[in-house]
Order: sequence, then structure tokens, then C-alpha cells
Amino acid sequence: MAIIEIEGLAKSYRIYQKQEGLLASVRGLFRRKYRDVEAVRGIDLTVESGEFVAFLGPNGAGKTTTLKLLSGVISPSAGTARVMGFTPWKRENAYRRRFALVMGQKNQLWWDLPAQESFRLHQQIYCIEPAQFDRRLDELVDLLTVRNLLAQPVRELSLGERMKMELIAALLHSPEVLFLDEPTIGLDVVAQHNIQSFLRFYQQQRKMTVLLTSHYMKDVAALCRRVVIIAGGMIMYDGSLSGIIDRFSGHKVITLVFPGEKPPGDLSRFGEIVEEQGPKVKLKVDRNGIGGALSTILAKHTVEDVSVEDPPLEEVIAEMFSLATEQVKGREPRPQLA
Amino acid sequence: MSDVVTSTIGDHAPAFRPSYTKVFLAFARNSLVRDMTFRSNFIIESITSLSWMAMNLAYYILIYQFTVSIAGWSKMEYFLFLATTLFVNAIVQALFMPNCEEFSELIRTGGLDFALLKPIDTQFLVSLHKINWSSLWGALFAAGLMGYALWYLPETPSPVAFLLYPFYLACGVAIMYSLMIALAATSVWLGRNQTLYDFWFYITNFSRYPLEIYSGAVGDPIRVLFTFIIPVLIVVNVPARLLAKPLDGQNWPLAVFALFATAASLWLSRLVFTKAMRSYRSASS
Amino acid sequence: MSLPANYAPGFEAGDHSLARPNRLRIWATVLRISIEERLVYRGDFALGTLMRFLPLLTQVFMWSAIFYAVRRADGASTIAGFTYEEMIAYYLLTQVSRAFSSMPGLASMIALQIRNGEIKKYLIQPVDLIGFLLLGRIAHKLVYYVVAAGPFALVFYLCRDYFSGWPDATTMLAFLASLVMAFIMGFFMEATLGLLGFWLLEVSSLLFIYMLFTFFFSGHMFPIDMLDGLPWHLGTIVRAIPLQYLAYFPAAVFLGKIQGADLAWGLGLQLFWTVTFIVLCRVTFNLGVRRYSGYGG
Repeated sequence: MAIIEIEGLAKSYRIYQKQEGLLASVRGLFRRKYRDVEAVRGIDLTVESGEFVAFLGPNGAGKTTTLKLLSGVISPSAGTARVMGFTPWKRENAYRRRFALVMGQKNQLWWDLPAQESFRLHQQIYCIEPAQFDRRLDELVDLLTVRNLLAQPVRELSLGERMKMELIAALLHSPEVLFLDEPTIGLDVVAQHNIQSFLRFYQQQRKMTVLLTSHYMKDVAALCRRVVIIAGGMIMYDGSLSGIIDRFSGHKVITLVFPGEKPPGDLSRFGEIVEEQGPKVKLKVDRNGIGGALSTILAKHTVEDVSVEDPPLEEVIAEMFSLATEQVKGREPRPQLA
Repeated sequence: MSDVVTSTIGDHAPAFRPSYTKVFLAFARNSLVRDMTFRSNFIIESITSLSWMAMNLAYYILIYQFTVSIAGWSKMEYFLFLATTLFVNAIVQALFMPNCEEFSELIRTGGLDFALLKPIDTQFLVSLHKINWSSLWGALFAAGLMGYALWYLPETPSPVAFLLYPFYLACGVAIMYSLMIALAATSVWLGRNQTLYDFWFYITNFSRYPLEIYSGAVGDPIRVLFTFIIPVLIVVNVPARLLAKPLDGQNWPLAVFALFATAASLWLSRLVFTKAMRSYRSASS
Repeated sequence: MSLPANYAPGFEAGDHSLARPNRLRIWATVLRISIEERLVYRGDFALGTLMRFLPLLTQVFMWSAIFYAVRRADGASTIAGFTYEEMIAYYLLTQVSRAFSSMPGLASMIALQIRNGEIKKYLIQPVDLIGFLLLGRIAHKLVYYVVAAGPFALVFYLCRDYFSGWPDATTMLAFLASLVMAFIMGFFMEATLGLLGFWLLEVSSLLFIYMLFTFFFSGHMFPIDMLDGLPWHLGTIVRAIPLQYLAYFPAAVFLGKIQGADLAWGLGLQLFWTVTFIVLCRVTFNLGVRRYSGYGG
């Protein structure tokens, strides 16, 4: 059952272009120059109920814009989207009661008040029955271990604690669809891990549909089976995490350990030497040339140890991002818009 | 699969409309809790707000040192007018001013996102979610001034006037609010706009004087403009006249028109607000 | 943070023969950037300038009603020595005074920069904070005058009947001098208030009180002559404090209310107050910076 259906979704902004120089500024008083920025350029996507999908992409790729479109905060310039049968930007209450958005960079809790006051406000706004409210709050507070922080003003909480409270606020009305925009941004490793395991547990238990954007590969690896890569406002890849390497990395890394003090000097003709440490060498070799390279090296030299590995995922993705950005840049100059 | 989904997350309460009164009370409570945590700030704000009122009063006391009436308003009548002005101001400042200022800021910074997600009327949410309790001292000050003026007024107003007064005061507040929220909403198109606040201040400045002073070749068009087009002249004049002036043939039509003006202002501001929310761009932080 | 021992505001370390033209260039750049920055918000500007005259309009009507009532009651045609025409002309002229002396947002910006630590930027860079702010403010004002000249000229032309011709050259010169001093005095008064942020966590209430007093006692709201007959020597006290130079004094000079020896004496006093506030601001700044670096930023 598809819970989210997106077709040809696009969003462009007009932005005012500031002119350089004094004279131009004066001219700007009377005539302004605008420029269109395309943040999302036609996205098609279907998400099944209960899926946990990650959006990956460089800054300004259009991930956040897509989430904002799906939560109805902004309206698209073209295309359609249906979430649970609703068109998000119509902002119907029936829809808004059934999903939630959490943004790592913005907070919705009252800054100067204890989080529980904001929760109570949510109870009123979302019409949550008192018994249900107490039960859910209890459960969430225990899962996230923040019971003793409920009465503290939000401004006194650490970033990680605050994010937990934001999650509680978003989950109190038991949304069927949850959008998470960089939920672990700026958190330390422990806090990141806490939030990851909570999200994994809660999503599995509740069978929520979750869309997540993140910069941290660890978030994605821990949580999502399905990864959608967005760059330049378009979907570049949609599939499993491991599929990315097969599809986008043209290289493997061969690690060789030689018996002597120093490795032989002719290795660079097989591929780029990534690392050289005593007798140990890491070689980045073209995927198709692995067999040839290995047999030649093994025939020519004595080798103590050898291993062939895929390059680290982060590297592949970073490489791909820069490739994608260049591709888009080739078509037209485009500023970064987060 | 779909069975599992409905059974686990199907524990939604039937889709009730939220109780707006309860939500408002929650806002009021939260604001009070907040004000009480910054108590010294609250005290300072109260003092400044009261001293502003005192300055206002002092100005008119000074002017009445030199004259016995202004445009047919005797000193005590004018005090009633001033008290009404201060009443409207206090209510607008307590309920709407902090919200509208923040609203325009939220539009600029993209902080409005969360308000748009809530299953409750967005205009209600952004217009009332903070209450500036310290401004309510102004209402007390105004009440005191009003009591004083009524005591010294040669003729006590009729019971009908007393009954209608709170109603028209509310109409006045509604007109001010409409203008303010509509102006704040235009931040969607105009970006950073300190001028909006100035604009509101300067326009509503016209409302703070008896409408009789606007006469002559320039005054008449101004009176018509601010009565019929941007009806700020009605805000204070109609309720104040109820108490200070006899309800004669000149005042009744104006009072009836005030009803229409209030409805029209509210409707128009709603229109602007809805349109603005459709154009909201959600700047990224 | 700590400051270099030879830190002197306004002077750069290094080659002194180069320092002077270099500094001029820095100031010129600062000025240019500030002007550009101001011009970006054209909507704010055009609207803001026009709006400024709206309260004046209500004053015209209000005073017209007041003078009418006074004339009818006891046949008098002046209030506190002002005829109706003079009164309106006075309000128009205080708009000019305030255009020079008011510094919207200056003090709160300084206090904010102290509080959020942005001030360090200026303490590290070879740029004098107060000089930098002064230039920013001059840019601000220059742009304002350019944009406001039109509306001002229009309003004064429309209201020309309230004036009895141009004043003589001496009065005009005195008027201009008092305006320039009003700008300098206004700037250094507000800057000093903002610098109190080094000691106080929250200056906004202080600023509000300052604003209130300025509004009431600078002559912005009414000519301070109206206070003369009041008990407790209120008029005398208000004339003794420097607030009147921000609005009342230039306007009264233009209207010829202050002449001869009084004029010379008044200008001298204004100069005295201006210098006082320049010194006060500088001292406050140095003390504040010392305290700030003492606390390790």
C-alpha cells in the first residue's frame, strides 16, 4: 500500500539579486533583479506504508525542500504529491493530525518553559484524550530516558536532550508518517546513537512510515534499508545502501603487504597508491582491472598478505555528490539552497 | 501488512475539533509561567508600560492648562477618550502585538513551519500564542482614569451606553488586530520590514484623536479615509462617544457602521492572511 | 581576550607613515558598504520616510482645534508665546532636528553586540568601534537625507504659509550649527547608553526610559516653553538638562525665539554638552573594554 506518492514535484524560488557596487545599489532602489532558483526539479517517488527511507544529498540538493513540500509547509511550483491520500499543501486538519515533522535545526518547544508545558499544549491542539496522552507520554519518556528533565526549561537542556523532547512532541499524537530533517545534526556520538536506536525501535514497533534526511551515514546505515539520493533537485539513485557501491564506485581497494622493508616501486601503474606504510600498500584499482592487476602483481612479487575491499561508503557518496553537482553545474550556474 | 498498520496506529481519538478556548487558556497559562520565571523583567516592563501611560496623561493635562476644550471635548470627556485609547492599546499590546511582531519574524526566518503543521487554525495559533501579561496594567490604568473621569463628568452616561461600551471596545480591538495581522502577513512578500510596525503605529495614530479635529479641505478627506477605507477612526471614537457624548442622530449611524467595519476588517485580514500563507517560502535556518 | 598593551582606539599598529591614508581608505570602504547595505531595503525606506509625516498631520489638526478653542474662550491667539502658525512650524522643525539627533537602534545594537560577544570582532581588528559605528550612522543618515529630501521639501513647501519667510543668515548658520551638534550629541549620548551594556545585562528598559524622557522633555512632543508656568520650576529644570538640544533648541533658533546673546550662550552650552558626551562616551568605552578584557571575554 503506497502511503506517499509523488509525481513530477518541482519547486522554484524567486530571489532578489543584490547588485555589487554603490551605483548599482542606488539603481536597486528603483528596479530589482530577480533570479529563479530551482530547489527541486521534478521528483517521482513512491513510498510504501511502514518503510524507513533516507534522503541523502549534498547541501542544497533539495532534501529539506522535499520534506517541506510533503508536510505542506510550502506549495510546489509543479507536480503532485499524495500522503495518505491528502494533498499536503492544502493543509487540511485531517492530514495535519496524522503526520509530524522534526527538524534538527529548528525547535518548536517553548524555549523558556519546561517541555511538559509544550506537551500539554500539544494535547489540546491535537485533541489527545487525557488517558492516551498520559500513556504515550509515559512510554516515550521511558524509552528516551528523560523523565527527570520534563520539568526543566527547554533552554537549559543540552542539544541531545532537546532533540529527544522534540521527538516526544512530534510523536505524542501518534503520527502515521514522520518526517525527520537532520534529527541528529550537531549531536555527539552517544546522543546520536541513542536517538538512532530509539527511532529504530519505535518505527518497528509502530510501523510508522519515516522519511529521514541526514548527513550522517551512520544514521542511514543504522536505520534505513532504502536510500534515495538527491542532488541538484533530482533523484540520482533509489535503492539499497549497498547497491550504491555497486552502481557508483568504479574502484576497489587492494591492500598488499610485502615481505621486505619497502614495497616495489612499480605499483603505481596498476592504480593510484592511496596509502603507503612500511611494507603495506593500499592501491585503488579500476573494478574491471582487478583480476589482471592481481595476477600480474602476484606473478612478479612475493606478497605476504593481500585483500580486496570496496571503498568506504562515505567516499563513494562524496565522490558521487561532487560528480552530480558538477553535472548540474554544467547545465547552468546554480546557487546552493538548503 | 495493512492490517498491522491500522491496529498499531489506529488508536487515534475520533477527529475532534480542538477546543479553541482550552488552547487559548493553555497559551495564557504558559505565558504567565514564562513571565513569572523572568520576574524582574516583568516588573520592569510593567513600570515602563505604566510610565508611558502616565506621560500620555501628563501631555493632555498640560494641554488642558491652556484650554478648556478641544474640538468640543471638555477635560473630563477627553479623559474618557484617552482612557478608551489606552484600553484598546493595552488589549492590543497584551494579546496581539507580541504575536504579530513574532509572526513577521517567523516568516522571515522560516520559523513558521511548525505553526503550519498544527491541526488548528493557523491564524488563531500565530495571533494568540503569546500573551504579554505586563501590558494588562495599562488596562488597569485606563480603568482608573475612566473611573476618575466618570466621577467628575457632569452627566452620568445611560445604562445602554455602559452595556454597549465593552462591545464596541471589542470591535475596536478587532479592527486594530485586523490591520496588524494583515500588515505582518505582508512580510511574506516584502521580507524584513521594520517599516510595517512603523506603518501600523503611524496609521493607528490617527485613531487617537477625536474625529472632530479632522475638518476642512484636508481634514474631511482624512476623516472619510480613516472612517470608511481604513476604519481606524472608529476604534476609539465610537466607544468613547458612547460614554462622553449623547447618543444623538450623529452618533447612531456611526455606531451601526462600526459593526459593518469590524466585520469587513476581520474578513479582509483573513483573506490577506490566507493568501500570505499560500506564498510562504520557509527560509532555511 | 586581552588587548595589546599599546592598544589605542583608532590607531593601527605598524608603519605609521602608511597608517593614515590606509585608515582613510578603511573608513571610506566602511562608509560605502554601510550605504549599500542601507539601500538594499528600498521598500522600508520610501515607505518609512512618507510615514514619518503622518503624526505631524494629526498635530496640525489637534493644534488647530486647540487654538480655535482658546481664541473662542478668551480671545488669546498665542499659547506659551507661540502663535498657531509658529506652533505648526515648530513641529515641522523638530522633525528636522530629530532627523539629525535621533539614532534608532544604535544603543540596543551596541548592547546586543556586547552581550553576544560580537564586539570582540572590533576589539581584535584594527578598527575603532565607535568610529566604525559613527561612520555607519553617518552613512545611514546620508542615505536617509537623500531619500527624505524630497518628502521633506514637499511637506515644507505645502506648509510654507506657517513660516514667515526665511530667517537671516546668522540665524540660519546658528540653526545649521545646532543641527550638526544635535547629530553628534545624539550619537554619543545613545552610544554611551549602549556601552553601559558592559555593566548591565539588560539595557532595554534603560533605553525605554531615555526614550520616554527624550520624547517628553526634548521638545519633541511640545515646545518646552509650555512648561514655564508649572510648579516646582519644571520649566527651569528641563531647560537645564541637555535633552532640549536634541529637538527644541534648533527649532527655536530657526523660529527666531532665541537671539543675540541668548543665541551665543545657547550654542556655547550645546557645544559644551556635545564635547561632554564625546568624552563621556570615550571614557565609558575604555572602562568597558578594560572590564571586558578583565573578565576574559
